[in-house]
Amino acid sequence: MLSVLVHAAPPPLPAEHLSVQQLPPKSPHWVYVYDEAFDNEIDARVHLFDGDSYRRLGQIDAGFLPSVSVSPDGTTTAVATTYFARGSRGARTDVVEFTDNATLATTGEIVLPSKRAQTSPTIFNMGYSTDGHFLYAAYLTPAASFGVLDPARRAVLGEIDTAGCVLVIPWGANRVSSLCESGRLLTVTLDAQGHETARALSEPFFDPDRDPVFVQGVPTARGYAFLSFLGEVHELDLSGAQPAFAQPWSLLSPAEQGRWRPGADQVGAVHRGLGRLYVPMHQGGEGTHKDGGTEVWVFDMAAHRRLARWPMQAAGLSRVLAVQVSQDPAPILFAATDAADVAVFDALTGRLRHVEKHLGQTPWMMLNP
Amino acid sequence: MRSLDHLFEHSSRSLARRTSRRSLLASLGQLLTGAALLPLLPVDRGGRAWGSEAKPDSPESCEYWKYCAIDGFLCSCCGGTSSSCPPGTATSPITWIGTCHNPGDGRDYIVSYNDCCGKTSCGNCECNRNEREKPMYRPSRNNDLNWCMANADSNYHCSVSVILGVAEK
Repeated sequence: MLSVLVHAAPPPLPAEHLSVQQLPPKSPHWVYVYDEAFDNEIDARVHLFDGDSYRRLGQIDAGFLPSVSVSPDGTTTAVATTYFARGSRGARTDVVEFTDNATLATTGEIVLPSKRAQTSPTIFNMGYSTDGHFLYAAYLTPAASFGVLDPARRAVLGEIDTAGCVLVIPWGANRVSSLCESGRLLTVTLDAQGHETARALSEPFFDPDRDPVFVQGVPTARGYAFLSFLGEVHELDLSGAQPAFAQPWSLLSPAEQGRWRPGADQVGAVHRGLGRLYVPMHQGGEGTHKDGGTEVWVFDMAAHRRLARWPMQAAGLSRVLAVQVSQDPAPILFAATDAADVAVFDALTGRLRHVEKHLGQTPWMMLNP
Repeated sequence: MRSLDHLFEHSSRSLARRTSRRSLLASLGQLLTGAALLPLLPVDRGGRAWGSEAKPDSPESCEYWKYCAIDGFLCSCCGGTSSSCPPGTATSPITWIGTCHNPGDGRDYIVSYNDCCGKTSCGNCECNRNEREKPMYRPSRNNDLNWCMANADSNYHCSVSVILGVAEK
């Protein structure tokens, strides 16, 4: 009898060979999830997540309060971070580390002056020029300036004082704008060696006392959209020689004003082909601008018209702190919550496809591949 | 309300019109350092503000009145108090100030939001409140910045809120 059973058993599993998994070909439905690991902040990471298979594909280590930027050609992720010589203490080293996005292997670094802006994630903490020739890193000591880096030669080219204006908004091959306390935009133009050749200060494009804009600008087809605390949309056109500011428009109807407002860490996402804007919205007053959205509202940017309201609680989600949308014709919307869940929606219909529970510890920003 | 933070802001603006940002910040740094050797402030924290299970009048609660624009881990839950850093950490020489209303006596108080530095984040009693908080282009009002940034060891541990005085009505 025993012999019969033994013969009926399936063949043993073959021996396995230990290997390193290779990434599949890049998909527009991937997303880089910035996890500040706030409870143990020297150990931030960037998780690569696939919005189709709902799998984590890999990780990029990111140190303390990092700045993260993907190169314009999508091949490289740059992480500017700070390390302490003895883990949580000791001599400070600021450095930009480059990761090959096809392998997730670190390929090089640039050591920075110990001036890097250590702040909440925005896409303007660090950024590439449009052609990828320069990489700019925001400094704050708290004197404000930025570093001009050569990512190909792995070199610091110089530092530009920004007269109190903060962050780096790259545009074109050689221009960088910064946000000023007065509501103006400072724009610095560089030569081929990364040295300043000109600077210009715009007229104020928002009122920082009455209705400040979030520094988390949203990339649009021709520049960026800056949302204000009270729900105004300030579109900045950077396709010409000078910054151009469109007439602001409101996310809110007159009846909604004063009751609803945007709020999050990453407070908007735009599908540039469709011209659709996605914004986490909540009901609240002054001081609630980081409370996160109980709903995601969808807008037609050309018509300044709301297309949909998607309640997050109905999808079983807590407040949304970050949104990102893929840029392909069948887009998906990623929404990261204050419970560290990342929800995957059909960005055209709002249908919930998946909730990835606990995608890291504090996912506060997401970037497209 | 004519409060000290408004005075601070107006004097900062006036200075900014006359001086470069670097000299402005140097002046502010000297002002703050000379005035009180105030410590620092925290980094961001999203919309998470749960803190502990403590009652709202407890310094271990995020709802405690002094924390109206704090952003980080409450030092009261990390070995310190609402106005002292935990053992073995370091205060910072720069900070920012704001105004909070104390429902206990009906007064508005000027408080400084300070960070305690030199150890990794405490991880207990996270609290993020943002009354009158402004974005990073107004750093004197911003709680996203790591105010340990200028310390020899810029690692962020937790945050306190220290009473400086009664706000002038």
